Amino acid sequence: MPPVESSPAIPETIGAAIDGARDTLEGLVALGEEVDDEWQYVQDLADAWRDRLDVVEAGRSDEALLPERGAAVERVCAEAGLIEDPHRAIDWLSTFPQVLLAALGERP
Amino acid sequence: MRFQDAAPDARAIVYAGIQSDPLVARAAALLADATYEERLLARAVMNGESTDAESWRIMFPSLFAAGSGNERAAAILDASLAVAERGEQVRSQFRGAIVEALTELLLRRGNPAAPPTAIRRERRILFDGVRAEIHPYDVTIEIDGAAAAVDCKWGARGISADVLHQLDDARTHAADDDERLRAVLVIFDSLRSCGVRLERQTAPQAGTEIVGLETLDDLAAPAS
Repeated sequence: MPPVESSPAIPETIGAAIDGARDTLEGLVALGEEVDDEWQYVQDLADAWRDRLDVVEAGRSDEALLPERGAAVERVCAEAGLIEDPHRAIDWLSTFPQVLLAALGERP
Repeated sequence: MRFQDAAPDARAIVYAGIQSDPLVARAAALLADATYEERLLARAVMNGESTDAESWRIMFPSLFAAGSGNERAAAILDASLAVAERGEQVRSQFRGAIVEALTELLLRRGNPAAPPTAIRRERRILFDGVRAEIHPYDVTIEIDGAAAAVDCKWGARGISADVLHQLDDARTHAADDDERLRAVLVIFDSLRSCGVRLERQTAPQAGTEIVGLETLDDLAAPAS
């Protein structure tokens, strides 16, 4: 893996990482809501993962993030932002927070 | 209680071609030995947009840290990208086939003394006086006293009333015949997401074992 270059989009703390990730999560929610039959599941899934992110933020918000972990957060947010299909967005509503948490050294 | 091959229909014949693709066996073998995070890598890549390996290496720094030489993670990334590079419909079929093949491999590890024919794929379960289900179970363990019906899903969204009813029906019909049949639902997704999906289901689920991405290795534990 090449050295990580600094970028304004790369978060330097856990709190900043989760702040940015919340916007990504909401983007997936908006896309997933287009599947009418799964509207409730999308809400429930988003709530469950928001709660998990809240717990991590509450305990580690000011903790510095190693550059490679910050780059991982930036990249997974970018990856989730590429999704245009509502069905895939629902799948990523589960995948995205798991990858994010792994980048932060957390379990799901 | 009897097990029987499912009658092949057109869908099953096409799907059998996917199941026998060497990529399915390769991915399943790698994932059978994988850690949670390596399995998560496979899940993300197989349903991601990017097919650029470097992007994924950056997303998983603990697997691909400079000098880590994690050959298994690299091989999983390679196999997962090979799935992702297929068309949308085909990759979906590959994902399903890989979860089934992985489940079979892990169950074989949990039953090392069992003959190859004791763990099967695409089998129906028949009970006297009960109309047979149309859909076969993805994997079955056909050992007296340690039988199991196992269905496999790529994501928590695949958990439905139909799936839960079919598994629970098999378990209860077996109990009616004084036989023990484990009902197991394997989902290649986080248990948190599975819990969310299950919470709103009214179909019976108490007697069904839920195995998620974090607990896949439980399948390889010796059968009790």
